Amino acid sequence: MAARVLMKAIHSLRSPGVVGAALSCNGHTFSSAAAAARPAAPSVDAGVNEKILNVPLTQPDYFRLSELFTVKDLFEARVHLGHKKGCRHRLMEPYLFGSRLDVDIIDLEQTADHLQRALNFTAHVAYRGGIVLFVSRRRQFAHLVERTAQECGEYAHTRYWQGGLLTNAPVQYGPGVRLPDLIVFLSTLNNVFQTHVGIRDAAKMNIPTVGIVDSNCNPSLVTYPVPGNDDTPVAMELYCRLLKMTINRAKDKRKRMELLKGI
Amino acid sequence: MACVSRVVVRAVRPRAFINCSKPRASTAGPSYSTDAGASTGENPAGAAEKPKKGFAAAYELQSDLKLQQQEERSGGGSAAQPARRSSARQDASFASLLRHSPLMQMGPAKDKTVIGKVFHVVQDDLYIDFGGKFHCVCKRPEADGERYRRGSRVRLRLEDLELTSRFLGASTDTTLLEADATLLGLVESREGKAKE
Repeated sequence: MAARVLMKAIHSLRSPGVVGAALSCNGHTFSSAAAAARPAAPSVDAGVNEKILNVPLTQPDYFRLSELFTVKDLFEARVHLGHKKGCRHRLMEPYLFGSRLDVDIIDLEQTADHLQRALNFTAHVAYRGGIVLFVSRRRQFAHLVERTAQECGEYAHTRYWQGGLLTNAPVQYGPGVRLPDLIVFLSTLNNVFQTHVGIRDAAKMNIPTVGIVDSNCNPSLVTYPVPGNDDTPVAMELYCRLLKMTINRAKDKRKRMELLKGI
Repeated sequence: MACVSRVVVRAVRPRAFINCSKPRASTAGPSYSTDAGASTGENPAGAAEKPKKGFAAAYELQSDLKLQQQEERSGGGSAAQPARRSSARQDASFASLLRHSPLMQMGPAKDKTVIGKVFHVVQDDLYIDFGGKFHCVCKRPEADGERYRRGSRVRLRLEDLELTSRFLGASTDTTLLEADATLLGLVESREGKAKE
């Protein structure tokens, strides 16, 4: 009986149907669905809740994300290929392994470390019921990013970013809007090779960001930068697959923990 | 096999050992291996508990490799063998992976012939991926034009891996996000399967 009440509470908190329907191109339905989808209604014992939330924080790799990828997988997905030397951003120099015949090569040992941290953070955010927003302004991968977001039950924004989307949200979308808890940039540049406005806005609104930074991108202001190739379809598919697996893993773990502790 | 060689060496060695008059070496094992003048490296360590040095270590390594090769050739092998090999490959560092990759071994991209795959077609434009960071776009040739579909393998002569140029007044290069290559023709497959 208590378990059934618990299940109902869980379903009301994380109704996947509403989440899936809330995906939208121009962001207008995003806010209203977000406001409706996740009301705070804790009917769980406070001690059990604390245990569910604090136990994953005690271990460095609670979700075992290091087994999801290896340096060889990154290499075969051409993640190490950067742009030409002339396109290089000065702040990306620490992440570069070197330059071969004018082509920058990104150091995959560092990338693996950064990617591990970024995936771990994403997993913890998803575990705690946070909203993840995937942003990419690359038209070549817009469909891939939107499909990834749909498959893991999160949100995507791959169209024109309106100026006040994060900073003026209560005015633009109505009061009481819930903003994303994590923004994942699958490409930190917009269509004119400038840094995406969302990075600065997320920093202003205290929203952590994960960003795939290529050798021509500015990695500052991104909370968890992942130096890597963002132009090749193989690399983008790898990132999307890893993020989807991370988020699904974290959500499944949360469901299992709640079932375990609830009993 | 190692013990046989040890026996053989012990029968032969003492003569050379006496002639050399070394003050050290109370035990038989280490003295053989440090006897650099007389020995040609054929000195196994004494007891099995000591870590093998010199020839014994090399022999063991070579016999392991030979065993691995034989099992590879036989095509079978236990589950442990593939696991060991795959873990060895995974332990290969990024630097060695990079060094042996075709892109690095190729050198400058100018006038190199590569094989690419058509992944998108827009009327007369073929978008071809050859394994680099970017794809290249080529015009469909007049000869055999209909045979260029999605998934066709083609031969290309590369000009540049990324089309970039620094314009006046700019601080960074402007990039076209494309590679430059000339289409040489289709790759003829020997099996006789025609690409649909």
